[in-house]
Amino acid sequence: MLTLGPIAFAAPWLLLALPALPVLWWLLRVTPPAPKRVAFPALRLLRDLLPPEETPARTPWWLLLLRLVAAALVIVGLARPILGPGGTGAAGEGTLLLAIDDGWAAAADWPVRMAAATAALERAGREGRRAALLATAPSETNEPPRVIGPMPVEDLRARLAALRPKPWAPDHAAALAAFQAWRAATPGGIGSFLLSDGLEHAAPESAGTAAPLAAALAQAGPLSIGLAAGQPVRLLPPPTAEADRLGVTVLQTALPVAAEAGVLARTADGRTLARAAIAIPAGAGRGEGTLELPVELRNQVVRLEIEGAASAGAVVLLDERYRRRPVGLLPAAEESADTPLIGDLFYIARALDPYAEIRRGRLDALLSRPIAVLALADRTVPEGPEREALRRWVEQGGTLLRFAGPRLAESPDPLLPVQLRAERQLGGALSWEQPQRLASFPDTSPFAGLPVPAEVTISRQVLAEPSPRLSDRTWARLADGTPLVTEAPLGKGRIVLFHITANAEWSDLPLSGLFVQMLRRILALSAGVQGAEGEAPLAPLETLDGFGRLGAASPAAAALAADRIDQTVPSPRHPPGWYGTAGRDAGTDPGQAAYRRALNLGGAVAAPRAAPPPPAGASVVALAGVPAERDLGPWLLAAAMGLLVADLLIALWLRGAIARPAMARRAAVVGLLVLMATPALAQTRAEEPGFAQATRLAYVTTGDAAVNETVRMGLVGLSDFMNRRTAAALADPVGVTPGIDDLSVFPLLYWVVLPDAPQPDAQAVAALNAFMRNGGIILFDTRDEGTGDGYSPGAKAALRRITRDLAIPPLAPVAEDHVLRRAFYLLPDLPGRFSGGQVWVARDQDRANDSVSPVIIGGHDWASA
Amino acid sequence: MTTAAALRAEALAARLPPLVVAADRVASTVVQGVHGRRRAGTGDAFWQFRPFLPGDQPTRVDWRQSAKSDRLFIRETEWEAAQTVALWSDASLSMEHVFGRDRPTKRERADLLLAALASLLLRGGERVRLMGGTGPSRSHAGRGALPGVVRGLASIGKSGALPAPDPSLPRHARIVLIGDFLAPLEEINAAVATLAGWPLQGHIVQVLDPDEATLGEGNRAFSGRVRFEWGATEGVLVPRVESVRGEYQARLARHREGLAGIASAYGWTLLTHRTDQPPESALLALWQALGPQ
Repeated sequence: MLTLGPIAFAAPWLLLALPALPVLWWLLRVTPPAPKRVAFPALRLLRDLLPPEETPARTPWWLLLLRLVAAALVIVGLARPILGPGGTGAAGEGTLLLAIDDGWAAAADWPVRMAAATAALERAGREGRRAALLATAPSETNEPPRVIGPMPVEDLRARLAALRPKPWAPDHAAALAAFQAWRAATPGGIGSFLLSDGLEHAAPESAGTAAPLAAALAQAGPLSIGLAAGQPVRLLPPPTAEADRLGVTVLQTALPVAAEAGVLARTADGRTLARAAIAIPAGAGRGEGTLELPVELRNQVVRLEIEGAASAGAVVLLDERYRRRPVGLLPAAEESADTPLIGDLFYIARALDPYAEIRRGRLDALLSRPIAVLALADRTVPEGPEREALRRWVEQGGTLLRFAGPRLAESPDPLLPVQLRAERQLGGALSWEQPQRLASFPDTSPFAGLPVPAEVTISRQVLAEPSPRLSDRTWARLADGTPLVTEAPLGKGRIVLFHITANAEWSDLPLSGLFVQMLRRILALSAGVQGAEGEAPLAPLETLDGFGRLGAASPAAAALAADRIDQTVPSPRHPPGWYGTAGRDAGTDPGQAAYRRALNLGGAVAAPRAAPPPPAGASVVALAGVPAERDLGPWLLAAAMGLLVADLLIALWLRGAIARPAMARRAAVVGLLVLMATPALAQTRAEEPGFAQATRLAYVTTGDAAVNETVRMGLVGLSDFMNRRTAAALADPVGVTPGIDDLSVFPLLYWVVLPDAPQPDAQAVAALNAFMRNGGIILFDTRDEGTGDGYSPGAKAALRRITRDLAIPPLAPVAEDHVLRRAFYLLPDLPGRFSGGQVWVARDQDRANDSVSPVIIGGHDWASA
Repeated sequence: MTTAAALRAEALAARLPPLVVAADRVASTVVQGVHGRRRAGTGDAFWQFRPFLPGDQPTRVDWRQSAKSDRLFIRETEWEAAQTVALWSDASLSMEHVFGRDRPTKRERADLLLAALASLLLRGGERVRLMGGTGPSRSHAGRGALPGVVRGLASIGKSGALPAPDPSLPRHARIVLIGDFLAPLEEINAAVATLAGWPLQGHIVQVLDPDEATLGEGNRAFSGRVRFEWGATEGVLVPRVESVRGEYQARLARHREGLAGIASAYGWTLLTHRTDQPPESALLALWQALGPQ
């Protein structure tokens, strides 16, 4: 070891190579190397061929200097210079004992601690001392602390580098015992360096006395204590959940100055959704604040953490108790339940989706997992095990939300708050009655205070059998006093009935914002997750490390009973993290576990208290002020490498071997031109508003202007005819391009398939599929019927190409009795410009779209007829 | 050169018709040969009858012809003469340098050309004489003389200096000089002037190796940093051969132009031959140069 001012060299003998630099100078001077020797009779002609002497072959002095500097950098770099050697090791002779607090509290400034420990170790190594290591926290494998060593510094260095903070508290009592045992086994002079996390970890009753471990260390030899001065240790206990906010508290060791802590709310994928600034007054150990979050956002939050503190104690995992309620939806018929605007569950799903976790499936599947609310839309519950299971679930506290409908009116079952009497129709073509409006909500109703919009009308409902308690059970009425929403408790739970359907068929209520508000009120009433939380063991799914990072569960982690999770103090056997029962995909994605609970460090350990003052005779070192040793070697070598690369480039340049960058410029210009050419198509299509203001037919524009005009004229004729002969009022047809124009406002799309029609791109395919799914009809016309390949050759292939990616349902020929043949006139052969060919429609099996085929394929060239 | 080399030269020469050298000058020293000079002179073949003029020797009167008329005629025979062609091939060390294994040295090529030419000439009845030899120079004649000519090649001096005419060389003979002619133009000019003043009608054949002609274009040995050396002289260090190649070729072209200027100044011809070209082409060109003009 050689020390020159602030720089020390770990391998100083390598510096002996520096005097060899002049040799290198000489070697570089004799460049270029010896030439090839060629005997050449015509030598006379070569004489005096060159300019006098070869000056260009001589290396320029600055290039020579560059190479010499590079060589010098390599030599000095290999000698491993170290900037700022020394460090704050323990004084004294003999073995250096590094005692390190590696509990959760040390994680926040762990790099500083490791730098200080490494510096002390390096210094001990330079002084030729041996070293030993004592980590005060139990290891991951639940072994108590023990002293490693004494051993040479080189061997200990790797062990020190492998040390990581643990997500639990250090065990100073066990560490003291380990030290005393080690001391008994290896007497001799020691000097100690205690890297303390600055916390009192002993039980509160024994606080106040000098820390026994530090005292023991001071007794054995000179002791230095490393303390992170001015850095409070912060702890984040679990928040309190309120209606629309989370109340968060930050605990810390008291500081003489006021401080501010930021608490971040993060999602499972690491996004930060909100930040709460929490002011902590001077001298206080805690600060409080709130995280204001809309419910739909709050439901995404899975973890809170203190900003800038990478520690297991600064992280709180939020489990189901803080998350949105699961709601099961059960329609009468699953197939058509999601049809836009008319499906049974369309409005409920959209109203609840931001506020609750929607689950779908069969009843037994839904009830097999904890669930807060179960909504049945016009679905009867037949007698048998299903009804019994449902009743049991409600009695355990579930909220059963039912909507009326034709089926329920026909066959009511007992799982209703009131007995149903009949169905009544208000208003309509053959009735004098007007649709009823809502009365304002009674004060006893959970809906009390919600504004009643005037435009909500009820045109049909089921009636309740009058009974003395009907009034008590009514949450909402119509203007004439008829109950609209009734409720009845059953066991710990309740059953709520909307006397209308869940879609807009019987009333306007599902269309209004009031519907969303009402559902949210009901959701808030539900008693939370209903399910057994017994003594079933919950396996560790993911655990936090000392820095508060989630990772695979450590091997020593053991399962934990669900009802004991609140009393468990994190330890090597139970590290903080997620515990739960493995569910679907739980092995690969713990977020998919069927049920999980969080074990948080912040809720289990005591509020941090500052450690008692160090024992007399110990010197205290501020950790933050220790500059880390910096190995300059790699930097010097990198600089030398850079110089050599520069040398290479210069050499190439001197020889004229570097091509000019003109090529790159040319390529850039071409790229720019290509970029400028692309938006041309988008610019040619001006925005054409007003398509949605009238019903109109549409055709897909083809590349052929004549065909476009023909189709347009055909559709104009059809529109005129329909305007004249039917109640439909069609505006002029327009040409559209799928994927660019919004197709949702057109009932029918006429598509002439030209032989050279390109395959639609992904955007167009998505638009067309959505169009067909939502009830639109696409009429493909190949214009070639009966002509073979004569009139429009290749149109069939083009049709295949176009429809390759479209969701075309199974097709069948138009039957004799198909609606297309007898809708208005009897049309036996569907004539167009050609006739007699086969026309294909969707097979008549899908009732979702009112049996209207989403696609008609033929070749009759109807538009030209 | 061995007998095998002589046979190879014979074979090469056999592919061409016998070379007939048309002598355009008459000299009293010309030895009578087998072909006429298209003018009256001593020979066997009849040339013409001419009237007897005063001063003619009466013994020359052709009485048979004179008896057919009143006048006396003298029978003249065609003057038949054998041309002497002196041959010289450069035997200096530079001619023997091996540039590549795949092609002959300039010396081998020059000797082959010389022997083939000698074979042609001997077959045509000309007299062939080697220049620059150390032994007593003499003219060869007759088809069987070729091996002697080839043996004589070995005795040509290594100095590479152009030969000087020795007193026994007939005047108005032809001379063919084969070599690389890379010496300074002044030396060549002086030697050629001496030869041309004998007087001799000459032909210069410059034989070069391709590496010499182009400074090793396409040859990896002639690239980058090369020190060119020859003999005991200090070499020339070329830092980058590629950069001087064009200059070298231009300089070689100027040298050749100088040679051509020297040749044309004395009414001589210049041929350039590269060893990677077939020898037949050079021989054909020589034959055309030596043929009737």
